[in-house]
Amino acid sequence: MKSKNKRISQSFLRWLLVLVSVAFLATTVFLWIIQTRLSEENAISLLALNLSDVREDVSDASDENLLKLTHHVADDLNRMKTIDNAVLQELVNRYDITEINVINEEGIIFATTHPDFMGYDMRNGEQSAEFIGLFYGSTEYVQDYRPTTYDPSLFRKYAGVRLQRGGFVQVGYGAERFQQDIDEFVVGVTRNRHVGSGGCIIIVDEAWNIVSDRMGNEGKNLDVTGLWIDTSSMPENKVFVADVYGQSCYCMYQSVEGYCIVAVMPRSEAALSRNVSVGVTTAMQIMVFAALFIMVFMLVKRLVVNNIYQINDSLSAITEGKLDTVVNVRSHVEFDELSNDINSTVDTLKRYIADAAARIDAELAFAKAIQHSAMPSVFPPYPGRKEFDIHAAMFTAKEVGGDFYDFYFVDEDTLAFLIADVSGKGIPAAMFMMQSKALLKSCAESGMSVEAVFTTANAKLCEGNEAGMFVTAWMGLLNVKTGQLTFANAGHNPPLLRRADGSFEYLKSRAGFVLAGMEGIRYRKNELQLNPGDQIYLYTDGVTEATDAAQTLYGEQRLLDLLNAHHGACAKAICEAVKADVDTFVGEAEQFDDITMLCLNYAGSCVHEEVDA
Amino acid sequence: MTVDKKLTGTELIIALAGRLDTTTAPQLEAELKANLPGVEHLVLDFAALDYLSSAGLRVLLAAQKQMNKQGDMVVRSVNETIAEIFEVTGFSDILTIE
Repeated sequence: MKSKNKRISQSFLRWLLVLVSVAFLATTVFLWIIQTRLSEENAISLLALNLSDVREDVSDASDENLLKLTHHVADDLNRMKTIDNAVLQELVNRYDITEINVINEEGIIFATTHPDFMGYDMRNGEQSAEFIGLFYGSTEYVQDYRPTTYDPSLFRKYAGVRLQRGGFVQVGYGAERFQQDIDEFVVGVTRNRHVGSGGCIIIVDEAWNIVSDRMGNEGKNLDVTGLWIDTSSMPENKVFVADVYGQSCYCMYQSVEGYCIVAVMPRSEAALSRNVSVGVTTAMQIMVFAALFIMVFMLVKRLVVNNIYQINDSLSAITEGKLDTVVNVRSHVEFDELSNDINSTVDTLKRYIADAAARIDAELAFAKAIQHSAMPSVFPPYPGRKEFDIHAAMFTAKEVGGDFYDFYFVDEDTLAFLIADVSGKGIPAAMFMMQSKALLKSCAESGMSVEAVFTTANAKLCEGNEAGMFVTAWMGLLNVKTGQLTFANAGHNPPLLRRADGSFEYLKSRAGFVLAGMEGIRYRKNELQLNPGDQIYLYTDGVTEATDAAQTLYGEQRLLDLLNAHHGACAKAICEAVKADVDTFVGEAEQFDDITMLCLNYAGSCVHEEVDA
Repeated sequence: MTVDKKLTGTELIIALAGRLDTTTAPQLEAELKANLPGVEHLVLDFAALDYLSSAGLRVLLAAQKQMNKQGDMVVRSVNETIAEIFEVTGFSDILTIE
């Protein structure tokens, strides 16, 4: 059966799909955010790492350079007997350095090329005090480029080396001077350095001119790269975003030794790592969710849907009337309970049906008894009468039927006998039959002629026959003394008549219309003289239309042959023989129609009685 | 049993094939109930009808009564077996058999 409702599995799939999609979207968005942050942090740490590497390289290079010079100066001074400002000035000129200070063992500058520093106590400032360490073990010390204690606007890089006579010499560089020495090195620093795969390092001097850059823009202002750094508002080691060489980049800078080192990394590179990572994870997620989806679907189908189908099959069988079907799905508690509930419902239903059936059976049995008792059933019915022998039998297809036979004396010598067949079967036919039978009897007993009986009965039966039932009937009035028979036929099968010296033949007469079929029908009377030894057999179409398993009809010829084979038998024997032959013919096939027959032997010719006598 | 019906204006032709008995009569009864209103000429074609039981006769009688009120009814192409049934039951008196 096709239904507009969805299948459970479809609804389930739909919801599962929605849930899985939401979960998938949520995890993907979450992953995207995490990965974006992570890739940014990676970029930052990469920038910081490169910056500190380069810074180290640059500061190492400049430290080494200055120390070497300072050692030369110290060696020169060690060879001199006296040291004064003039000697120092000469050395400054020789080595092309910015400043030389010579400090005695008390830490006081006693000779200097800088006029203001004469007599300055090194312990007085934080920057200068760092050199006091040379009095305690170390023989050399280098400071990075920074403001001097004495004059914070003055930037210097100092190196100190212990002198043999005690005290030490301090050599100072201005940025321009030492940068001259290490620029070559600095230029090389950025050449082979990559930040990530697409990033780079740019080194500029204090005037924002490029000192080193992979693009070969040395000497030009930083502007050419697109970068712009404002040291006052942009702190060192803090990442910022700028367009460098036309690409949006993460940037970070640091100052060292008068240089500004800028590390640059394209944002697209950071995004690429994030995209790859999110892409791979998403692909894996799709696989995992798909597997989950299929697994859950299969499980639901297996655990729920299949069991429901199984229960449904059992229910269909029950609905089709196989009430002994037991629902037996025991895989889970829920199905177990459902099975039990259905089974107990069916049990209750069966009990009710059995109760109802028992009640109906009892009522039908009662109805059958009433119907049968309405027809003469004691044989022989008139033991005192030797003029005739009569026997009749009725076998209903259901408990009650629409056929009937009847016979009674309407006056001292006139025997009425009849057979009839109501259209249809069962209770409606039985009720109509009882009405018809009573009506025919009351008409006949009022002394009417046979055709008047039918005409009157038809008129009465037509009144209020809403169900459109009708009845076929054959009725005869026999004067048992004279053998004169008058009969009428209302659409019934013709009876069979056997003369004493002949064989059975169909008693054809022009039939009238069925009773109760149509108002105003007039029936005709037929007359016949019965002689001693004559035999008449009435039957309903249940006999000739009895069907075997192959749908073959019993037929009129077979009935005729059978009757002729029982020549001279008594009425009872004839009836029994016909019934036995019909039963044999039908075999296992179901009886469809009521089978009714009546046999009358005129004038004591009964073999049966002779045997009895 | 198969019921083949053809409605042309107010004329309804119903051709029956097979057996018209207790089991199939309700089918014809339902067809007639649904199609008879408005019909003035009802033709029942029995050319392919093999068997007719009393239940079938009842439906024919009902149809005849109905058509008596609103027009006419003709039974056509009746075979020998069924003609005999009509004869025996007296239906040949009330039906118009062609």
